[in-house]
This record gives sequence, structure tokens and C-alpha cells, in this order.
Amino acid sequence: MKRLFLILGLAFLPSNLLFSQIILKEPLSPRLTGYSIDARLDDESKTVEGVMDAFWVNNSTAAVPDLHMHLYMNAFKSSRTTFNKGYGGRIRASEAGWIDIIEFYGGAGNDLMPFIQYFSPDDGNPYDSTVIRIVLPEPVKPGDTAFVRIKFKTKMPSNIRRTGYTKDFYFIAQWFPKFGVYETTGMRYALTDGWNCHQFHANSEFYSNHSAYDVTITLPEKYVVGSGGLLLSEKRNDDGSKTMLFRAEDIVDFAWTAWPGYSVHKDKWKHVDITLLLPSDRLEQVNRQFAAVKYALEYLTENVGPYPWPHLTFIDPPATGSGAGGMEYTTLFTTISSYRMPEWVRLPEMVTIHEFGHAYFMGILASNEFEEPWLDEGVNSFWEARIVDHYYGKNSAMIDHRLLKIPDAALSRLVYTTSPLKQLVSNDEYSWNYPRGSYSMMSYNKAATWLFTLMGITGEETMNGIFREYYNRWAFKHPSGKDFIDVVNDVVVRIHGNKFGPDMNWFFDQTLYGTGICDYKVSSISNRIITESGMGGIAADTAVTKESAEDEKLIRATACIERVGEVMLPVEILIGFDDGEEITEYWDGKERYTEYEYTGDRKIAWVKIDPEYRIRMDVNFINNSMTTDPDRGPVRRITGKLMLFVQLFISMISI
Amino acid sequence: MQIVKSLKAGACRALCLWKGILIVWLFSFLPAAIFVTPLRGALKTGLGDSLITERLAEGIDIEVFADLGNHLSGIVSFFLSGFFLVIMAGFLLNVFFAGGLFGGVREYAGSSRLSDFFKESARNFWSFLVITILINLMIIGLAIILILIPVSVIMQSDTISEGAAYNSGMILTGVFLLLMPLFLLVADYSRAWQATQERQSCFKAIGEGFTLTFRNILRSWLMMVVLLLFQILLSLLILKFIPEIRPASGFGVFLLFLLSQALFIIRILLRTWRYGTVTAFRENYAGPISTISQKKQMPVEPEQVFSQPQDQAEY
Repeated sequence: MKRLFLILGLAFLPSNLLFSQIILKEPLSPRLTGYSIDARLDDESKTVEGVMDAFWVNNSTAAVPDLHMHLYMNAFKSSRTTFNKGYGGRIRASEAGWIDIIEFYGGAGNDLMPFIQYFSPDDGNPYDSTVIRIVLPEPVKPGDTAFVRIKFKTKMPSNIRRTGYTKDFYFIAQWFPKFGVYETTGMRYALTDGWNCHQFHANSEFYSNHSAYDVTITLPEKYVVGSGGLLLSEKRNDDGSKTMLFRAEDIVDFAWTAWPGYSVHKDKWKHVDITLLLPSDRLEQVNRQFAAVKYALEYLTENVGPYPWPHLTFIDPPATGSGAGGMEYTTLFTTISSYRMPEWVRLPEMVTIHEFGHAYFMGILASNEFEEPWLDEGVNSFWEARIVDHYYGKNSAMIDHRLLKIPDAALSRLVYTTSPLKQLVSNDEYSWNYPRGSYSMMSYNKAATWLFTLMGITGEETMNGIFREYYNRWAFKHPSGKDFIDVVNDVVVRIHGNKFGPDMNWFFDQTLYGTGICDYKVSSISNRIITESGMGGIAADTAVTKESAEDEKLIRATACIERVGEVMLPVEILIGFDDGEEITEYWDGKERYTEYEYTGDRKIAWVKIDPEYRIRMDVNFINNSMTTDPDRGPVRRITGKLMLFVQLFISMISI
Repeated sequence: MQIVKSLKAGACRALCLWKGILIVWLFSFLPAAIFVTPLRGALKTGLGDSLITERLAEGIDIEVFADLGNHLSGIVSFFLSGFFLVIMAGFLLNVFFAGGLFGGVREYAGSSRLSDFFKESARNFWSFLVITILINLMIIGLAIILILIPVSVIMQSDTISEGAAYNSGMILTGVFLLLMPLFLLVADYSRAWQATQERQSCFKAIGEGFTLTFRNILRSWLMMVVLLLFQILLSLLILKFIPEIRPASGFGVFLLFLLSQALFIIRILLRTWRYGTVTAFRENYAGPISTISQKKQMPVEPEQVFSQPQDQAEY
């Protein structure tokens, strides 16, 4: 009888999830997977127990014999998991987290528990159980749908690393069994069909199909809940609990949070209802948070594409749950702030804009963050800096104090340029393969820096055109880095013709796939008088002196420009003369050096390579310019002030 | 009235000690200059003949400093090691000359010759060093007990919100700031007392400092608050305006340097004023330590005591 009900229940599933439209007028994605979860939070045992009905559609042309699923929460099971090895430290028994599969049925009601195999496709770690393979009794035929019903129990880890609990604060993410992505031949340039289902690594994020989610959560009534779904119903139960039903469509992950201390605030931007949950004594942060998210919505809508969902929730976790801050789940993201955080610390704005931006690059475009982290984090960091620059001023974030300004883009660039690891590997690495300490610098900072460089070369409008095209062509289709490059090549050639060559591959070969650095340098400025030597009328040069400069003699003025780094990019060179005239030269930057020579009655006073600092990959802006009359004033001024402050400090401690 | 008279007396005595103040300035300037000059040289070398200094016109530009590369690591390591040394040297020199300043602000200090100033500095050095270190430790200890530990405990609490924790921290900091003048009074009374003694006895001096502070706690505290307000106002003025001034020309930079050093001399003057005022108050109103019990029995008019050479009476 139980089996019959199960079959009937699972048979009902596709119409419930796959075809129903509750939030959006029509599906945005093919919805190859879908999840209906009925979960209960046990406040005492810190567990979430649930029953999940899910499906996966085989859209390939061949039968698929197995299913691959993530059990992300097992990353917190012991100190020997792949996640924890990368993270370092020990996981004590009291702080561990895991997910147990209690029952696993197939669509025909058949028990699939015996067919579950744990395996570690990335590193073969026998202690890692974050990926399972279920060998099906019968393969899933092309076009068919595989249904599963899974009863699971998830124990939340107490030390929050993106997910977990502290006291009565919960941030519940990566909490249910989740399908990997079955990539068909050609998708993301895949050579064969196959599952793409990686283990949970410390330095990696995720990759999933766009799905519809129906999530029912039962938990104690005292909790205020936020999630990536739209709240459809809420009812109070007799046992002091409440049950909430959430619906989300075409998102890649479903996460939720519960905490009694949340204060809920609502705002609206065009069609988007925005909800902010934050501790009730952080009210002074509400307006700045809403302003930041609305700026991001406006800018990305205008320059990339529309935000399709009518709802958006973001969380500013309490200090006890700060480990959950700065993470994204498409229609839900978490930010960072603190009580009375001053306006000149723009960290909340930066984080809010960044995490919202993921709704586009991780959410809508949904690239593979395991294998190409730069395509989400780097691209998103680039847009974050642009948005912050646009709305808060070029030198505004992250510190915007009258005494010290740390701009967002500058911060990103200098993390890359000052890193000793910047030439170890290219950007084209799986996220966990980056040498220790270089993942974040490479995937966020280097990628953002070369994207700024690309914008410096092609222009801002071209860059916006590239991203509009990227969105139009690839929204909800999981593009790869090569797909992005194809878009760049098409748009640049369409706008600029052959100005930069037949394509822009030369740029990506050096920046994305290369490990070289970019450094252009003004080697020398020389102003020499041309005199008759008396030896057969051969001209000889002598250095210009004050006296000789006053004479009306011919001067050979030369500026020597050098390419110090391996990366070759076209650069603009501005040359200033002592009579006030300025000449702009263009150099393809390919040779090791070049010289610009001018013969006349004037001397070169200064030379600037890339005067607008557009080639942000250049690791040293100091050697980009040279003058014959250097200004020492700023250094004297800064050190003079430093001296005063040293004196004051000594005086203070000497009471 | 006693406070005003002491403030006036302190100001006069501090002004009379102008040579000593200039000596203190000079010996504050020298270690700072020894520290900053190589730093300036390293910066100049790092920036070379670049036009990037244009970007420093509006203040510190983090990209410029980051691009210093190897020069930056040299500068940072020099800064970290040099800063500690210069702070130590400056601290010792300041403690040394505090002896001269306290000796010079006594009512019957004798001549204002520099040799006497140095003699007093040398005579009081060890005792003043112990007093200064101990009072600094007491202030740090107070900050730990009054602010750090309670705030840490509050932040671990399940029931107290972030706002309440923040406000508690602010209130405790306020209490700490209100108590700070008492520790400065102890330090100043101790040193003022020590400066009148032939024998060095730093622990007895601290004891006398506490006795004098708590015997005249309200008046002394008010007097110290007034003195500190002037010092704080000057510091705020320096912190607010000096970073804002960004002269473009070399002459402007030189004028800024002169202005900053003039402000620092004023700060030394204000500190000397504090020493002078506390010393005057101690001499004229606090009464001799050895006759505390007599003073309690036979109160005398402050005006009668004002011109009396208390130091001699103590001997």
C-alpha cells in the first residue's frame, strides 16, 4: 500500500514542479531538475529532517545508467574530508555536520539504497562522502525523467562556514541531496556526455541546473525565516511550531535562514520586492543596504540584462553568525555589516553589490564555479567595482574617509599585483587546483583586473555590449569561459572591425590562459643638441645644458619605452614638451622596446605610458612615467606629517 | 578660585621655562627625524623620476604605495623596526626631560639656566622612569579591567544584543576617560613631589601622588580636566587640519613643516603648563605631606599659604 502511494505521489510530481508557473509567467530555463522538499528543523538536535521528491530529465541522446548527487553537508563530517583538508584545522565531534540518507526510492517505488555508492571523483579521498552515484536498475532513456524520493537527515555544523548554526541562529545551505549537472557533448565544450559532480572543496563554489523548488519548512514559531523562495503560505501548528511553504523558480540553489532576532524590512525596485533581514539594532544600516542593492539592480539591468525574478531577499547576519556573511544563492544572498558601522566604511555596500551581482553570473548565467571560478567571481568583482565607482565615486570604496581612500578597483588590482603567487598558474584552473593562498587572488582579483584592462582597450560601451550579448546568448544555459571569449570576439569585431585583429584571442591567451605579467616602463628621456663636429660634417650630440638650451639649436629629443613584462598589449604614450605641447603616440607593445624621437627646438619634459591608467594589469604604475623635473613635494609633505604624528605619539605615551 | 590661581601660576611658570621647552622639542624632533629621513629617502628612490607623484597631490594613494614593490617591503620592514626604536628613544628622552620640566616649574626653582634644567633632568630620571612606566601600566590595566574584559564577556552573552554591547562599551570607555585624569594627577603629583626631594624614592613618590590626589580629589580632578581639555583640543586641531593641508609648492611644504612643529611646541607648552599647574596646586593648596594631620586640625587660609615656600617647609 505504501509503495502504491509512493508511485502515485511520484507520478504527480512532474505536473507539480516542471510545468506549473506560480512566480514567473513562463519558465526561464529548461528545468532539467526540480525539488519538492518537506523539512522540519529540530531546534534541540540542530538537525533538519526532510523528505524530498526530485526529478532529473535526461536531455542527452543516449541512455544514462546512473545518477550523481552532491551530499555537500558531509564536508563537515570529519577532519579528513576534502573540504576540511583544504580549509585546515580540526573539526571536533561537537561541531561536525553531516547528511544521512535514510530512505532512497526510485520513480517506480523501488528501493535504491543498495545502489548508492560513495566516490570521490576529484581526489579519490576515501574519507570524503560529498558525492554519491546511484546505479539505476534501468538506465534513463533519452528524454525520460528520473524521479526519486529521498528521506534525509541533516545535522547542521556548529562552526559556520557558509552553513551551520550558532546558538539559535541558523543559516541552512547545501542541506539537501542535490543532482550534479549532466553535461551533453558540446555543452561547455565537453567532448563526451557525462555527469559533472565535484566534491565539496574549501576553495570552490558550486554548479547546478536551474530548478523549481517547492520547500515546506516546519520549525518553532519564534523563528523569523528568510529564504530564496517566495512565501506562499504560513500556518501555525498546535505544537507551537509553524509551517511555511516557499516556492522558487529557475534558481540554482535553495538556502534559508532562521533566527528569532531578525528584523524584517521591505522595499521595492520596479518589479522586484526586496526583503532585508537583519538584527533589530542595526536599523541605521537599513537604508544604505537597500540603496546599494537598488543601485546594483539598476546598473546590471541597464548594462547586462534584466533581473527576471519578482523577489529578492538578503540577510545581514548577526555577529554570532558572521560566518554566513558574504554568500550568494541567486534570489537570496548574505551581506556584512555591524552595529553603528560608519558610512565611510563601505564594506556593507561592496559586499551587498558583490553578492547581488552573483544573481547574474552565478544565478542567471550559472557558469561552473568548480572548474572556472573566474567566470563568476572575477566577472562579478569587475562589475562590483564598476557599480561602486559609478554610484559612490571613483575613489570611494572600500574606505571612503577624508584621510584615507581605498577604491574598490584599486584594492582588487593591488591584491593581484603585490601577490608573489601571481605567476604560478593561469586563471584556467579548477578552483581547488590553485596553489594554497592563490585561489581568491587569481579567481577574483586577477580576473577582475584583466577585465578592466579589456575595458581599457576596447572601451566602456564595447564592454557593456559584450555583457549584454553574453546575457542574451547564454542566460540559463551554463556558458563556459570559451563561450564568453566567443562573445567577446563577435562583439569587438562587430564594433571595432579589425582594429584589434580578427579576434581577441591574443588578449585571452596572455591574460586568462597565460601566467605572464604586464609591465611597461619609460626607460629614459634624452634631450641632446645636434652640433657640427667638424669631422666630415657628421652631426654629434651633446647633452643639453641650461646655457645651450637658450641657444636656438636643433635638439634631438628621445623617449625610450620598454616592455618589461611578458604580456604584450597596445598602449598609448603621452609625451609632453617643455613648450607645453603634448603628443599622443600609439604602440602595439610587442617589441621589447621602442623609441620616439623628435628633432626641433624643444625638449621632452615628461612621458606617460597609459596616462589614463586603463591597462590595469600593468603591475607597476610608477615606472609608467618619467619627468625631467620630478616633484618631491608630496613625499616631503607626507613624511613631514608622519614625523609630527610620531612626535605626538611619543609625547602622549610619555604622559 | 584655587584652580584658577594654580592655572595662572602654572602658565607663568611654563612660559618662564621656554628654553627647557625648546630643548624638549629638539630632542623629540631628533629621533623622529632620524626615523623619517631614511624613510623619505626610500620613498624618493622608489618613486624615482616618476610623474605618479601627481596622484599623491590629493593625499595617500594606496596604488602608488603598493606599486613600490620591493621598495615597499623595505620601507615597511624599516618602519616596523624603526618605529619601535624611535618610540623607545623618544619615550626615554621625554621622561628624562620631564625631570627638568618639573624641577623648573617649582616656585623656588632657582635659576632658569639650561645647566640646571639638565641637572634636574638627570637627577630625577630613574625615579621618573619608574613612575611613568608604572602609571602607564596602571592605565593599561584599568582599560583591560574596565573595558576589554567586560565588553568581551558582554559580547559572548546570549541575551545581550549588539547594540547593548556597543553601548556598554561606550559607557565603559566614558568611565575610563573620566578616571584617566586621576591617574595623570597621581603621575604629576608623584613627580612634583619627587622633584622636591633630595633622595630618589619613586615608590614613595607614587604613594604621595595617590595621597595628594585623593585628598583634593574634586578640585584636582577639575583642574586636570581643564588642562586636558586644552591638550585634547590642540590634538583634535592637529588631527583635523594638518592632514587636510596639501600644499603644492616646495615653499608651501616647508611652511607646513614649520606650522606642524610650531603646533608640537605648543603641545609641549601645554604639557609643561599642566606640570606647572599641578606643582603650584600642590605647593599652595595640597599642603605638606608630613603635616597632613596638623593641617586637618588647623585649617589655614589658602591666600596665606600661597606665598609660603612649601618646599622649604617640607625640608
